[in-house]
Amino acid sequence: MLDIGLAHYLVVSAILFVLGVFGIFMNRKNVIVILMSVELILLSVNLNLVAFSAQLGDLTGQVFAMFILTVAAAEAAIGLAIVVIYFRNRGSIEVEDISTLKG
Amino acid sequence: MNWTLALPELVLALSGLAILVAGVLPRRDMTFPCTMMVLGAFLLSGAFVLTQPDGMGFGGQYISDAFARFMKVLVLAGAALALLLALDWNRAEGLSRFEYPVLVLFATLGMMVMISANDLMSLYLGLELLSLPLYVMAAFHRDNARSSEAGLKYFVLGALSSGLMLYGMSLVYGFAGTTNFAQLAQVLGGTAPISAGVVVGIVFIITGLCFKVAAVPFHMWTPDVYEGAPTSVVAYFATATKVGAIAAIVRVLAGPFGGAVDQWQQVIVLASIASMILGAFAAIGQTNIKRLMAYSWISHTGFVLMGLAVGTEAGLRGVLIYTPIYLMMSLGAFSVLVAMRRNGHAVENIQDLAGLGRTDPAMALGMAIFMFAMAGIPPLSGFFAKLYVLLPAVEAGFWLMAVVAVLSSVVSAYYYLRVVKVMYFDASTGALDARPSGVSFVLAGTGLFTMFFFLMPAPLLAAARQAVAALIG
Amino acid sequence: MIAGLAFYFFAFILIAAAVMVVTARNPVHSVIWLIAAFFNAAALFLIAGAEFLAMILVIVYVGAVAVLFLFVVMMLDVDFAQLREGVQRYAPIGAVVGGILFLELLLVLSVWRFAPDAAALRMAPMPEGVTNTEAIGRILYTDHIYLFQISGLILLVAMIGAIVLTLRDRPGTKRQDVGAQIARSSAVAMARPELGEGIRREDILRPLPPPAKEAPKPVTHEGGHH
Repeated sequence: MLDIGLAHYLVVSAILFVLGVFGIFMNRKNVIVILMSVELILLSVNLNLVAFSAQLGDLTGQVFAMFILTVAAAEAAIGLAIVVIYFRNRGSIEVEDISTLKG
Repeated sequence: MNWTLALPELVLALSGLAILVAGVLPRRDMTFPCTMMVLGAFLLSGAFVLTQPDGMGFGGQYISDAFARFMKVLVLAGAALALLLALDWNRAEGLSRFEYPVLVLFATLGMMVMISANDLMSLYLGLELLSLPLYVMAAFHRDNARSSEAGLKYFVLGALSSGLMLYGMSLVYGFAGTTNFAQLAQVLGGTAPISAGVVVGIVFIITGLCFKVAAVPFHMWTPDVYEGAPTSVVAYFATATKVGAIAAIVRVLAGPFGGAVDQWQQVIVLASIASMILGAFAAIGQTNIKRLMAYSWISHTGFVLMGLAVGTEAGLRGVLIYTPIYLMMSLGAFSVLVAMRRNGHAVENIQDLAGLGRTDPAMALGMAIFMFAMAGIPPLSGFFAKLYVLLPAVEAGFWLMAVVAVLSSVVSAYYYLRVVKVMYFDASTGALDARPSGVSFVLAGTGLFTMFFFLMPAPLLAAARQAVAALIG
Repeated sequence: MIAGLAFYFFAFILIAAAVMVVTARNPVHSVIWLIAAFFNAAALFLIAGAEFLAMILVIVYVGAVAVLFLFVVMMLDVDFAQLREGVQRYAPIGAVVGGILFLELLLVLSVWRFAPDAAALRMAPMPEGVTNTEAIGRILYTDHIYLFQISGLILLVAMIGAIVLTLRDRPGTKRQDVGAQIARSSAVAMARPELGEGIRREDILRPLPPPAKEAPKPVTHEGGHH
């Protein structure tokens, strides 16, 4: 029970991943929480990679995780910049409020 | 290490940095010089691509083969022509900023990295180097609510799809033990049954890639982004980036996951059929021509996926012939869309084209050629594109897909011909403004290619055959 | 034993924090829970032996990304109560879909096994006798230099993008103009007025009268920016 193996990490990571996806669909109106849910998904990916890296004894997973951290930071910066200009134009951050673009 | 192999990318990256400095330092508007410098950098990089030898570099993370060269030339050509179209439009809309060509350059560099990827990590980083500039470009008209909304929607869905794809990559890495494409092909091509973890990983990766090519369950962003983003940006989205996305999905599915073809074939078949049907029927009621082009692309993506789903050499060759032909048709159609201005304001309804046959016969003729070609009417190039993916599907016994393809072609002919009818038979509501010279140049070039492709198809066919041979070894 | 207990402890807090991130009523609370989640994930990284990544996670995420989130949440004057409206509507369907997805993942993970030759395929086996940081440093700048450079370009693009989108020159902004400052020195001259007379007698060096006060402009809100 108290031996920690790969499976424990994968389960924690799967829960995080599902929470991230859940968060995106639940907070459809609040873009900032959606961005945070994306960060949770990326965190779960990193947890996966680190666990596999430890299990396989291979550093590639950790290097991959580092690149993902870099990209995630860049993505957050761009995403927040777009949220800011959206807010300047519309006065709200609701995504679902799409009266101007409809299909 | 073999770093000289990646010379096209290195040249493009270094010129990007130099152009950025050249744009920032002077105190005057540098948009035009920067655009010209970026076009020069594309030309230079293209020359290096053509002389690139085969081989692998950077410890197997980078590959140069006939497929990569074929796709890179298309991407560079598409990006250069789309940038040319953007120049006048951006100036007219007050979007004239030197960062635009720089972002186009880095996005194109990202596509080249993605095309040459031989490792899940290079694929991911190339994809992000492509996506981040695209998010910014979609929101480039920052004082326009529709543009920033398009950017926001594209960003949210794009970030979600990257996340799904990454989760898949982590599973593939964990259960196969490697991220290298050659080694993955070796693991998955063996006789041992494929681990369930790898299969789930592949499904997640396909989900992410389907988002990037806008195949049907993941197409929701396309019409909104096409409609909201500035037309000059959409001209880039609909041409060069589509080539990059097709290249990525072909490279991944035919390369490392080629051995697991049974696992993903059904998924791609379903996505293909759904894309063709939705693309054909959803476009019928559209009045906005940019939305129409979005649904038109969704239908074309179905045809591309059809060739990929067949999976044979002939099917992949069909995909590689479809790509340049689509690129030319789409660039031509967007050169007309970019020229749609009346009294200095951009107009984007199909009805705004009314009477174009009398007010600007040359542009109307060009648009008619592109619409006929997209509908697949012989002897225009679009007919051959569809033929080359349809025949392998029939030969391989994918009857359902082939029948849906033909029927959806017939349905989509309706809305393409409607555009032609509006141009030639409806009463004009006023002439459009004179078209800029860049538009005329792109219109003439792509129009001639689309019209007279059937006279000289041999060079393209030979290049496509060579590229496929390199891909499936 | 200790590691096992620590794992459960941190994993539990991580998941609880993640739940709070997506369900908190106030986005500021969400950000703070996100920071807690990152700290606990860093602890899990430590248990798995990835010390360097754990530190990077704390420094980059907590130090930069989470603060950026907090900054934007506070800068935008959003009516958050209104944003919660959709939640009740989507919560049941979201929970069902999330549950299905999680069960599927569990199903897959329960039958996991590695590819037969996974051990032989390792591209960068962990070297013996060096710290995690040193081992990563050895391969990051050599074997992965290509990817390292690309990620540098990605950061550059993010910088360009954020500046392009949000930087704007407002007409009233005061900026330092070095050229004008230097050029001004030639207009200043030394004068020697008579003792007790003051500078007014000279008549030319009199300071300019202050400009007439402009009538205060009506406050304009540009496009919904409060």
